[in-house]
Amino acid sequence: MESAAAMREGDLVRITGLTREFSSGGGLMTPRRTMRAVNEVSLDVPRGKVTGVVGESGCGKSTLARLVLRLLDATAGTVTFDGIDLASLSPGQMRKLRRRMQMVFQDPYSAIDPRYTIRRALLEPFQVQGVVQTAAEARATVDELISMVGLSPRMLSSFPHQLSGGQKQRVGIARALALRPSFLVLDEPTASLDVSIQAQIIDLLESLKEELGLTYLFISHDLSLVRYFCDRVVVMYLGRAMEILPGAKAQPRHHYAHALLDSNFEPDPTQRKVITMLAGEIPSPFAMIPGCAFAARCPAASDLCRRERPALEDLGGGHMIACHHPKN
Amino acid sequence: MALLSVKDISVTIGKLNLLDGVAFDIGAGEILGLVGESGSGKSLTAMCVMGLLPRIGGRITEGSIIFDGREMIGLPEVELRHLRGKRIALISQNPMTSLDPIIRIGAQIDQVSTLHLGLSAEAAKARSLDLIAQLRIPEPEAIHGAYPHQLSGGMKQRIVIAMALAADPDLIVADEPTTALDVTIQAQIIQIMVELVRDRGLALMLITHDMGVVAQACDRVVVLYAGRVAETNTVEAIFAEPHHPYTRELIRCIPRLGQAPGSLKGIPGAVPSVVDYPAGCRFNSRCGAAEDLCRNTVPALERKTSGLAACHFSEV
Ligand SMILES: Nc1ncnc2c1ncn2[C@@H]1O[C@H](COP(=O)(O)OP(=O)(O)OP(=O)(O)O)[C@@H](O)[C@H]1O
Ligand SMILES: Nc1ncnc2c1ncn2[C@@H]1O[C@H](COP(=O)(O)OP(=O)(O)O)[C@@H](O)[C@H]1O
Ligand code: SF4
Ligand code: SF4
Ligand SMILES: [Mg+2]
Ligand SMILES: [Mg+2]
Repeated sequence: MESAAAMREGDLVRITGLTREFSSGGGLMTPRRTMRAVNEVSLDVPRGKVTGVVGESGCGKSTLARLVLRLLDATAGTVTFDGIDLASLSPGQMRKLRRRMQMVFQDPYSAIDPRYTIRRALLEPFQVQGVVQTAAEARATVDELISMVGLSPRMLSSFPHQLSGGQKQRVGIARALALRPSFLVLDEPTASLDVSIQAQIIDLLESLKEELGLTYLFISHDLSLVRYFCDRVVVMYLGRAMEILPGAKAQPRHHYAHALLDSNFEPDPTQRKVITMLAGEIPSPFAMIPGCAFAARCPAASDLCRRERPALEDLGGGHMIACHHPKN
Repeated sequence: MALLSVKDISVTIGKLNLLDGVAFDIGAGEILGLVGESGSGKSLTAMCVMGLLPRIGGRITEGSIIFDGREMIGLPEVELRHLRGKRIALISQNPMTSLDPIIRIGAQIDQVSTLHLGLSAEAAKARSLDLIAQLRIPEPEAIHGAYPHQLSGGMKQRIVIAMALAADPDLIVADEPTTALDVTIQAQIIQIMVELVRDRGLALMLITHDMGVVAQACDRVVVLYAGRVAETNTVEAIFAEPHHPYTRELIRCIPRLGQAPGSLKGIPGAVPSVVDYPAGCRFNSRCGAAEDLCRNTVPALERKTSGLAACHFSEV
């Protein structure tokens, strides 16, 4: 075991008990209902490593991403970046710190203004931050940024609609890198791309991480991609961390993680499988289930599971699991 | 003889040549995977087989489509409509293109078998309930009386599959039936669909961009690239010994369990767009083996040691 101090040194971001509630209704006719999109998530993001978050639609991945960058305020819990509690910062201080932490979005279209040339899109982060550059400096900056993501500087005068999906995502990454951050949150950066382009982008992200010494929080719904790319993997379900796998080789033991693994068809017809059918589908996040969030669909659920929520416990070596009856 | 035989069809919409010599067969009881990246022509091929191309202003300029021994191209719309309802069914990516939001689920499934099998209202309902149960939807009675908006995406897609099965068709064309769904739901629906199709000895044309789904479900595979067939073979051969460089590269781009860090590389470049397809082989701008011949001459889809591939230099 590392000492607490050593671990703190090793973690760029520490997330503790992070919770975000959303409410809906509360009009004349509808009762006000509350749900927790992210529910008491605790997680450390080690420096220079890729921490992955995997889960199905609506499990709270994007909400977690926005909370970590404080693009959204938490209902409870804390996020510290390099030892600084984000909630303690004034808006001005937060804006300054944003230079060091940036986001890459799934939809490369949404992040780039269609009316701007790529050059202007790449210079925008500097304007937002009030960084003054001479024309020569600006030219050098955009040239360097665009080459860094493997695009030709000739592309700088193009408009977003003239670029392919993969090229747009490269521009999205270049923009995120403009202010030389140390931490990138990547929210499904390849989900709308074809696999041949997805693999290019992952390859690019791998080399940028090495070159620039970046730390990533990588969000995806694709377990095999996450296991390939990430050093640690957090499996989320209905707002909660169900299991944290310490490495790509670690065997999942949570029943939901197994369901995800099971649902992943290998590109190999000699490895066909028979899926264990799960009962039902993901319950509504408004249901506020008392016990384990996965109990309604879990083949191993007991009365205890439906009554008491399992706490996230360490199985040793950083392998954490929230399950009363882990799979062997 | 094949149940469906698509012979060298070319398709244009306006001035654009979108499909060029697409050819494949599907036998009764066979699951054929049609794979390719976005824009490769998968949905257009489905539209051709369904006889729906005119609806989007498209035209088949060459080739023929033989279904159960009859030419489909040029059939009058009444006959096409009969074929579509009764013998060929479509499952599309978005279940709401097949469901009417203001009609109860049950009535929509019942209608298929009253119309095409001539069943009485009672018999049709019994059949619908049975189908709903076979798709492992709990509480079939309740679902029968529900409206589409009361169901999750995964449930709606299962209802669409039930509707497709209701008329007892010979061929089902499923265009990315699970792409919009969560992975656990996708896996289950693929499994159920494959079981039902196999039990009934139906032919299934399964369109997907997911090579994992292909490996899991299909007997034979057609790989499309930029509006042309790159390769077609048995599913085992496609994965074990792909003849076309594109197929090989496409498979290599999927991260596998236990794959070494840093070893995932994409295919350089991007799929060319319809307006500037290169001369010769359309993969030539991204292919490591390309030579001058590839830039001048279109490779024909030729027989290899097994299957067919369109490459000047595929070794075997
Ligand atoms: N601003 C908001 N107001 C109300 N509810 C919200 C808001 N943002 C997110 N939610 C809800 O919180 C839950 C988690 O959403 P989130 O976008 O984080 O999911 P996700 O895991 O990123 O899903 P996806 O895979 O579809 O991107 C969902 O139920 C969503 O509807
Ligand atoms: N209605 C249409 N009008 C013009 N071009 C179209 C139309 N539908 C499809 N296309 C073009 O045809 C090609 C193949 O499309 P499609 O069959 O939808 O691809 P896939 O289903 O493989 O993603 C693409 O280049 C697409 O832009
Ligand atoms: S706690 Fe119980 S219901 Fe939850 S995953 Fe473990 S065994 Fe299943
Ligand atoms: S024909 Fe030439 S360019 Fe096309 S796949 Fe074969 S080797 Fe590559
Ligand atoms: Mg999201
Ligand atoms: Mg399509």
